[in-house]
Amino acid sequence: MGVNYTSVQWNRQKKLYDAVLVGGVAAYLVAFSVLTKLLFPRVTDEIMLIRAFGTAAFVLLHIILCIGPLCRLNPRFLPLLYNRRHAGVTCFLIGLIHAALVVITYHAGSDTNPILSIFVSSPLNGSISGVPFQPFGFFALLILFLMAATSHDFWLANLSAPVWKSLHMLVYFAYALLVLHVTFGVLQGEGSPVYVGAVGFGLVTVLGLHIVAGFREAKADVSTETMNVLEGKTLTPRAADSPLNDGFVDACAVADIPENRARIVCLSGERVAIFKYEGKISAVSNVCQHQNGPLGEGKIVFGCITCPWHGYQYQPDTGASPPPFVEKVPTFNVRVKNGRVFVHPKPNPAGARAEPAQFEMVGTRSTASQT
Amino acid sequence: MERVPTNVSDEFYIGWEAKAAPGIGKTVRCAVIAVLALALLVPVVLAVSQRMIGVSVFEWGTQKTFSGVLQTQPYPHLLVPRPGVNEKHTLQSVLFSPAMFSTYHLVAPWKFGLNRAAIAPLDGKSVTLKGTLIYRGSQTMIETKPEWIRPNEKTPNSASLPQSVALGKQTLTGEIVDSKCFLGVMNPGQLTPHRACAIRCISGGVPPVLLVRQKDGPAIYLLLVSADGKAVNKQVLDLVAEPVEITGEVERQGELLILRADPVTYRRVK
Ligand code: HEM
Ligand code: FES
Repeated sequence: MGVNYTSVQWNRQKKLYDAVLVGGVAAYLVAFSVLTKLLFPRVTDEIMLIRAFGTAAFVLLHIILCIGPLCRLNPRFLPLLYNRRHAGVTCFLIGLIHAALVVITYHAGSDTNPILSIFVSSPLNGSISGVPFQPFGFFALLILFLMAATSHDFWLANLSAPVWKSLHMLVYFAYALLVLHVTFGVLQGEGSPVYVGAVGFGLVTVLGLHIVAGFREAKADVSTETMNVLEGKTLTPRAADSPLNDGFVDACAVADIPENRARIVCLSGERVAIFKYEGKISAVSNVCQHQNGPLGEGKIVFGCITCPWHGYQYQPDTGASPPPFVEKVPTFNVRVKNGRVFVHPKPNPAGARAEPAQFEMVGTRSTASQT
Repeated sequence: MERVPTNVSDEFYIGWEAKAAPGIGKTVRCAVIAVLALALLVPVVLAVSQRMIGVSVFEWGTQKTFSGVLQTQPYPHLLVPRPGVNEKHTLQSVLFSPAMFSTYHLVAPWKFGLNRAAIAPLDGKSVTLKGTLIYRGSQTMIETKPEWIRPNEKTPNSASLPQSVALGKQTLTGEIVDSKCFLGVMNPGQLTPHRACAIRCISGGVPPVLLVRQKDGPAIYLLLVSADGKAVNKQVLDLVAEPVEITGEVERQGELLILRADPVTYRRVK
């Protein structure tokens, strides 16, 4: 994050991002509408647009949901995440246009209030094709609205990061609702296997990427946990190395950490990012105060830990953002002995300075190869 | 060389920097091209695979004038004499020769049927009305309003009006559609995606029709009425847009086919 706050609000990357986003959505809508009109000149325009916007929003939601796990699998995709909130707001707006057209076309001008009609006009009758699918779309749109409305950092600060994060986890619920919306809706009418295949393919892609990414992360956590457990329980061989028997835990070797980067370890169930820079080691909580980005996948840039998601920065020793910014993350006390990093699992208050551990560059290499 | 994990490339993306590192830039450019290709491919595939859009017309924005005999039973319709068709009718001519009248179903704007009370005094009278034409296949309909229907001087020759001809008890399988949307106001206007709209239309008085699709040959449309010939709008709502089987007495009245059956005997199939 640069010191000039306004330049962070609108920068070249965000403009590029939004240009691609708007261009992609426009291309989608034009392609769908023009082709439908050419193939089926008798189609009702409103319904053509309902379909263009409904499917566009649904496809965009798939893309949004895939960005997260893609970035966890390969950080090179991180630029796709940078301005994802604009993609989310766009998805809501497209969904809103779809819903508004539906209400005008299918519900307005009848003997029932048009919004009420979404809920009462398809009475349950025990058959699958009779399941009212429109309320699913309504509640999904409501979630997308809440997310879009609270997407600004103002809300993030006011709702507190955990509340905001849980609110935004509802996107998975919205996605599930939309899968039901199309399964009990258009799939019951359009008999084409292409539609069934497309929904199934989307579902498998979203679920598959999340499972693979989650599995990898869990494996990484478990490996550090087991290492700690093993070394804690069978302390004997390395008891001498442990500086004092004062609760510090052997986290990793100095040589395991690339310069200006971090290694993420899991201590007492919490992820800690251990950074190495300029002959020093510092440890901070892995959770960025902005949107819970993984700080340990970040890098030291201009002397500050820089979050891989949106570039928020923290000083490695204090966990505090450089002025004028106010974000702070908890720090951890560290020690280096014989080329190994020991971390105390109890976090210091956010923003509290923890003395970085110095290490001997040359010594590191020899100790590292000896361990 | 320091021993560091080599799988971590040292390139690092910071959104607020003007330009991304070349390696990251390349990956992202490929990803963006893939996403944009998807944004063109998906709509093409989805648009081409649509199956339910038929050939129907709603002449929205165009009003025409029609003259004929107004009928309110079983649902409001207008009989417009066809020029040059033999006025004398036998059972033979009713069944097999072109009908002497073209039949236009009459409905109101939006999701409503014509207000029956408002047009009751004109039942069986010669009228002139203006409205918007809706048609699909052999079926024609006019969207109009009671205040747009004016009585004519002419008295119709009631003897030449089509008589009911019983075609016997039959069991038919089809879908209950709202005639207004299906005949052209909405296309596609059938099955589950359109169900709520169809229910609102039928609830609002648009004539409910049993659409019987035939493998070879045009679809058949039967106006649904109760066993004693009354409108059944409110009784059929649950089964709209579903495959149903109805057993009842079929009768022909000019171009109209009418299916008389008690709605509680309708059966959902499949
Ligand atoms: C109040 C909210 C909503 C209502 C009342 C609603 C209603 C409908 C209706 C009636 C259809 C069938 C249209 C047709 O083909 O004739 C439909 C289809 C669909 N809707 Fe929604 N919807 C809502 C929200 C959403 C949202 C938020 C999304 C996606 C983000 C969405 C995605 C879709 C998709 C992908 C289809 C299938 C394509 C189509 O047939 O249009 N809907 N919706
Ligand atoms: S999560 Fe946004 S900068 Fe860290």
